[in-house]
Amino acid sequence: MAADEALAHAAEQSGRVLMRLYGWRPDTVSLGGFQAFAETEQQPELAGWPIVRRPSGGGAIVHGSDLTYCLALPATHPWGRRPEDLYAAVHGALVEELCHRGVAASMVDAEVAATVADDSFFCFDRRAFGDVVITAAMAGAVAGGCKVLGSAQRRLAGVVLQHGSLLLRRHPSMTGAGSHAGLAEIIGGTGGDSAAVVVHWLERLAARLGGPLAEMAGVSWTADDPDLSRRVNRYAGAAWLRRR
Amino acid sequence: MDKPRRYAKSHEWARLEDDGVVTVGISAYAVEALTDLVFMQLPEVGATVTAGESFGEIESVKAVSDLYAPISGEVVAVNAELPGKLETLGDDPYGSGWVIKIKPADVGQLETLLDQTAYDTLVGSESH
Repeated sequence: MAADEALAHAAEQSGRVLMRLYGWRPDTVSLGGFQAFAETEQQPELAGWPIVRRPSGGGAIVHGSDLTYCLALPATHPWGRRPEDLYAAVHGALVEELCHRGVAASMVDAEVAATVADDSFFCFDRRAFGDVVITAAMAGAVAGGCKVLGSAQRRLAGVVLQHGSLLLRRHPSMTGAGSHAGLAEIIGGTGGDSAAVVVHWLERLAARLGGPLAEMAGVSWTADDPDLSRRVNRYAGAAWLRRR
Repeated sequence: MDKPRRYAKSHEWARLEDDGVVTVGISAYAVEALTDLVFMQLPEVGATVTAGESFGEIESVKAVSDLYAPISGEVVAVNAELPGKLETLGDDPYGSGWVIKIKPADVGQLETLLDQTAYDTLVGSESH
């Protein structure tokens, strides 16, 4: 989370659009910025799991079988002015790629979002505007589809940070409420492998941005970076984790 | 006639009251842009806020946004009813939807904020 915030700072300073993609080790649960920490205690599957809190909103995510991204862009960027525009750009690129592969993917519209409770503990049980869902008659399908990509934004002064989680496969440790089908289970056999989907999703996103993918990388930090250390201390502290 | 408001580029408004306290809120434009508000976190009375730095957060179904202090000083009142009645922000953003009141460290800081005309211009540019 500290690195993501530092990425946002770098995007603001440089005026560039920056994106970071990462996995998790060890597997971890991330809570939305306003979720009550006590809610995790009502999820027996999560007992003993490492827990962090994101600066962005939304529901809890079980990380370990997903690809997490953080996209940061200056608030003056055409995609930065309205929350919907950035969701549509990033999620639309994935929908485009999945549909190209013959997968029945779509973004949740406001009408459907209004029919599903938005206070579920897990992100992948919620349906918000722009979420990427795939029409599939599988356990966990809500409002006609399984959610494979959800995102949430933190709008800071001068910069927008968007977090998102692309569920690559069902988490092997989850069998109850935290179990959600991922790309591998949903499109396996019809839409190709998940890794290829990710690569082409990012290429389509880069094309929408109007620049080659390579230019979306290039920020690094060292452990003795005082700015990063300050951010790490904040996100590692109990005051942040248990703020609610 | 309403007292004139000043605005931060981050869309908070500030209004100097007769007792020297500055009332702070969120502009109607910003509230409308946030839409579907679900949660708000505000500072405690007695907290010190610094101009340009975050003093609270507001979550909508689409995004979490920081609230930035338009002026430095001490928080002397918080609209405690607001988090439980977020629709007030949209219904009456410049009246009962006020957020905090600040005893300013330097009331002259208000002059560094945008006046109504400049803010309207900013909103117009962001809307296109």
